[in-house]
Amino acid sequence: MSSDLYREQLLDHYHNPDNFGVLENADVDIEMDNPTCGDMIHLTARLDNAGRVSEVMFEGQGCVISMASASMFTEHVKGKTIAEITAMGLSDIEEMMGGVKLSMGRVKCALLPLNAMKQGLKESKGAV
Amino acid sequence: MPLDVAAIRQEFPIFERKINGKRLVFLDSAASSQKPRAVIGAMMHTYMHSYANVHRGLYSLAEEATAAYEDARAKIARFINAPDPAEIINVRNATEGLNLVAYSWGETHIRAGDRIVITELEHHANLVPWQQLAHRKGAELAYIPVNDAGELELDALPPLLADGRTKVVACSLMSNVLGALPPARQVAEMAHAAGALVVMDGAQAVPHQPVDVQALGADFLAFSGHKMCGPGVGILWGRYELLEAMPPFLYGGDMIRTVKRDYAKWNDVPYKFEAGTPAIAEVIGLGAAVDFLNAIGMEAVHAHEQEIVAYALARLAELPTVHVLGYGNGEPRAPQERSGVIAFSMEGIHPHDVAAILDTEGVCVRAGHHCAQPLHERFGVPASTRASFYIYNDRDDVDVLVGALDKVVKTLKR
Repeated sequence: MSSDLYREQLLDHYHNPDNFGVLENADVDIEMDNPTCGDMIHLTARLDNAGRVSEVMFEGQGCVISMASASMFTEHVKGKTIAEITAMGLSDIEEMMGGVKLSMGRVKCALLPLNAMKQGLKESKGAV
Repeated sequence: MPLDVAAIRQEFPIFERKINGKRLVFLDSAASSQKPRAVIGAMMHTYMHSYANVHRGLYSLAEEATAAYEDARAKIARFINAPDPAEIINVRNATEGLNLVAYSWGETHIRAGDRIVITELEHHANLVPWQQLAHRKGAELAYIPVNDAGELELDALPPLLADGRTKVVACSLMSNVLGALPPARQVAEMAHAAGALVVMDGAQAVPHQPVDVQALGADFLAFSGHKMCGPGVGILWGRYELLEAMPPFLYGGDMIRTVKRDYAKWNDVPYKFEAGTPAIAEVIGLGAAVDFLNAIGMEAVHAHEQEIVAYALARLAELPTVHVLGYGNGEPRAPQERSGVIAFSMEGIHPHDVAAILDTEGVCVRAGHHCAQPLHERFGVPASTRASFYIYNDRDDVDVLVGALDKVVKTLKR
């Protein structure tokens, strides 16, 4: 599985992540970590007037899977509503990452950006 | 005499299988070791020929099972030079043994304002029970620091013992991350001189080197059978008079002498601490593991692992992006200060990715904080990759590891 896991597409995102950085005055601003692995993500996002995600940026450190997932996630969720993001799960993330099959141990790495986004949206609800 | 690793591997059926088409290179024995035929066979024999509950039945099968169970207890006692088999308490794992001490002894002896001393290199199992006991009692938890070279800063201990508030010192005999061997006998001497008890975590040391509780001057020692070729069972050893004075940890059957409607009297040590039906076949299996290790000789096991570690350190030094934890400025330590565990970080590469790519080469290593978060914090890394060695590993395994690490760099570099 692992040689497949380290395919070019994911390594490209890992080495040259999209939307790497921090949005000022963001609607969503959250840090989340996987304490057992040491993966950390700081996710910021803005919503438009229709309640859709318009901009997302992330910074953080972690394994190839968590960082590639975060990079792809910042593009993937643009234009999505809160309800659409809330409904996302592991299969969506696996599909987003080009159809990888994640082993049990790597699932929480890949889900870190989605979980951060869900938590961030929950915390910002009152503010938006 | 060097170990005949090829012959030893023959005793472990698991090495007949392949991992991702490659020879199995198992470098995660610090988490749990593989099992030899002798242990698997002893358990199978128990279930197929002489199984019944222990200490209860009046029929011959039950007597046989009880005899085998108690015979294993005696073997385990001799293995750590415990003066009396009754001092051997069968528990689930080392963690449960340490919790037993923290609850049973700790609840009755630790008071507000007392101090509990542990070290910075403890596994969470010898850290969190004491931390939580300190919280419950309003006691202080103090740490003996570890220096860059992975050594205990023993100078920190006398000031912690000087005011008489320290009631217990808990210390590992071997770090599960650094492979470092803290000077436990010295710690015990200092603690005893100040009237404190000493609880030793032998989870890593007992499987890998001779451990003599009397020579060490320990009051309690906990270790795990599954890390020493045995099945999933743990052992707590304690000095008889301490165990006798302690209240039970768990209540129920077998630990009881008399039960009336509103009071109960406890059974003798060790049964007082073995509530309910124990892991009978597992304890018998651990007895077989002790026989297996004794046949090799614990001195030989220790010497073998130090030789492998010295070789592994030299080979890892060839990889400029690999940094081994707890070796100061790269100075090789005297082998007697180290045992068969090496944890390392790789520049710009997360341990998860290291472990996943090593797996494609049949190499099993652990990635994470290895249940020692404060120690990783001390060394400024959130996680590391750990290779640990045992009797079935040899230089070839180290060479495969180093080759696979080279593949990690090639796969992930830009």
